[in-house]
Amino acid sequence: MTYIGATPVRRRIPVVRYMPGIGAIWLREVKRALRDRGQLIGGFSRPLLWVLIMGIGLNPYFRGEVYGEVRFVVPYTYVQFIFPAIIMLNIMYTSVQSAVSMIWDREFGFLREVLVSPLPRWAVLLGKILGGATIATGHGCLVILLARFANVPLSPGDVVVGIAFMFLAAFGLTALGIVIANRVRTFQGFGVFANAVILPLYFTSSSVFPLDPALTRAQTAVLYPEWLVLLVRANPLTYAVDSLRGIFIDFNQFDPSLGPLVAFCMAGGFFLVALWDFRKP
Amino acid sequence: MTKEQSTDAGGIRVRGLSKQYGRVKALDNVDLDVRAGDVFALLGPNGAGKTTLLHILCTILRPDRADEVTVAGHDAIRHSLRAREAIGVVFQEPSLDDRLTLRENLEFHGMVYEVPRSLRRRRMDELLELVDLVERRDDLVRKLSSGMKRRLEIARALLHDPRILFLDEPTVGLDAQSRERIWRYLEELRASRDLTIVVTTHYIDEVKGCDQVCIIDHGRILAEGTPDDLRGRFGTETVRVTPTDIAAAEAIRETYPTATSGRGDTLLIPITDAAMKAEFLRRCGIHVRDLAFETPSLESVFLSLTGHDIRDSEADARDVTLAFGRQGGELTR
Ligand SMILES: Nc1ncnc2c1ncn2[C@@H]1O[C@H](COP(=O)(O)OP(=O)(O)O)[C@@H](O)[C@H]1O
Ligand SMILES: [Mg+2]
Repeated sequence: MTYIGATPVRRRIPVVRYMPGIGAIWLREVKRALRDRGQLIGGFSRPLLWVLIMGIGLNPYFRGEVYGEVRFVVPYTYVQFIFPAIIMLNIMYTSVQSAVSMIWDREFGFLREVLVSPLPRWAVLLGKILGGATIATGHGCLVILLARFANVPLSPGDVVVGIAFMFLAAFGLTALGIVIANRVRTFQGFGVFANAVILPLYFTSSSVFPLDPALTRAQTAVLYPEWLVLLVRANPLTYAVDSLRGIFIDFNQFDPSLGPLVAFCMAGGFFLVALWDFRKP
Repeated sequence: MTKEQSTDAGGIRVRGLSKQYGRVKALDNVDLDVRAGDVFALLGPNGAGKTTLLHILCTILRPDRADEVTVAGHDAIRHSLRAREAIGVVFQEPSLDDRLTLRENLEFHGMVYEVPRSLRRRRMDELLELVDLVERRDDLVRKLSSGMKRRLEIARALLHDPRILFLDEPTVGLDAQSRERIWRYLEELRASRDLTIVVTTHYIDEVKGCDQVCIIDHGRILAEGTPDDLRGRFGTETVRVTPTDIAAAEAIRETYPTATSGRGDTLLIPITDAAMKAEFLRRCGIHVRDLAFETPSLESVFLSLTGHDIRDSEADARDVTLAFGRQGGELTR
């Protein structure tokens, strides 16, 4: 057998040096996701269902309703209003799916192949989360394809900014999924936990009903109970959804700078927590 | 063995290594030296601590206490990334991605280990050739048999040209033909490369061709040496007899309490010297139908060192599965 000389050892700055390794992990995540029919079908059918059934079904009840003295000031149809939230829903589901792949890797041994490699833990984690975030952003883009049916006119600029923000949010959510996966060690446990986190987070993010800031506190209190308002304001996802609304339908319920700030903190914070869990050999 | 020999780039040196799981001492003050270029076998029954030792050498498990763990010239505890560059590992349970093709699995490995692209491609072809999997290279790994998966894992572990190749029970669960094939590849590798091979097994017949054999049980190293050396030091000659009937077997057992049962309905009696041989024939000749004197075997070495037959301690499948589960949980915490 011919023998080809030893691997040249090159020492460069870490992020550059480990780029191929991070890329390999990223590529594997993306390939696996593209080969997973079930996940793709879910990514398509979920938004379709929301736009067609929820969106169109609730549309007539959304505009111009008057509750006593209070009148909605959301100048959009219901489909338009929930469209950015559906993008976020698709991103959430897919991010969590990536975390499941972490448990999968651990159960079926592949994680060892990575752990015994000379790739440092932070690089492994970064590749994994970037991969998950890419897939999630892809699934978010599937929703954008439905924009015409939801009567949401999009400019190319909106789409670019939107995708960038979606990626940031997806990064944070994937990191959150991995933090959860590190604490729950079985598929069943993860399923229960994920459901207990995803849907409550989604529903309290002002995704399906508006929390209009133009209303006074007293007026809001007429519409919604105090605890719900507090939950919505405490939910970090609220601000991410709000940002997407700002980008896609030019409607913000909160300070527009809050969204990117919260998303950025989520991405950084959960990444650090995940890294902390992962460091221990 | 001198220090230079064991700590050079292809060797391993371990001193005072201990690891405990709860109350179980998985490794108890282990010393180990592996010379560069050797095929080194760690022989021990299930639960002996082989996997634990290998995981520590591969830097993915931390020992409780160790004076020294040097792998390929690097401190495996303090400079684990350096050590990892120099080793290739085939774990006891498969660690391939079965939703990727063979080539994609190798490609992944090459990128993670920083093997430049053109070199990576060349080695991939070369190694797939070595393990006879060239035609299957674009198939998904899940379509391979377990023997093929093992071979692919060996190829993958060599892709970055490591100095030391670790294999944890590479033949367990495989049929005789696949087992033989894997040992043939290891032989070929030893002949063609500058490679140290550390392999664990609980099949005694597999270690006969190895350079060094280390017998481990209950986390302790019981003996180390070449197979011949071990046979000479710890082996005993035995006589294997087939008694004429059950009563005869009883009579033999009564006369020789050291007799143990062997394959089928045979009995094994250790022979300590020539006089005992003659006496055995005189006293028990009428009780036996068939008889053979066996020169010291590694089986008898194992028996005399551990006090039990290696097959006695073979865990059932469920135990093995449970052990995998536990290991998986521990390693990734
Ligand atoms: N993660 C773990 N948690 C608890 N006990 C363990 C763990 N891993 C191994 N052990 C115990 O340590 C001992 C050695 O195990 P192991 O190294 O797997 O043996 P071998 O590989 O020789 O079969 C066994 O008694 C086993 O039950
Ligand atoms: Mg083992």
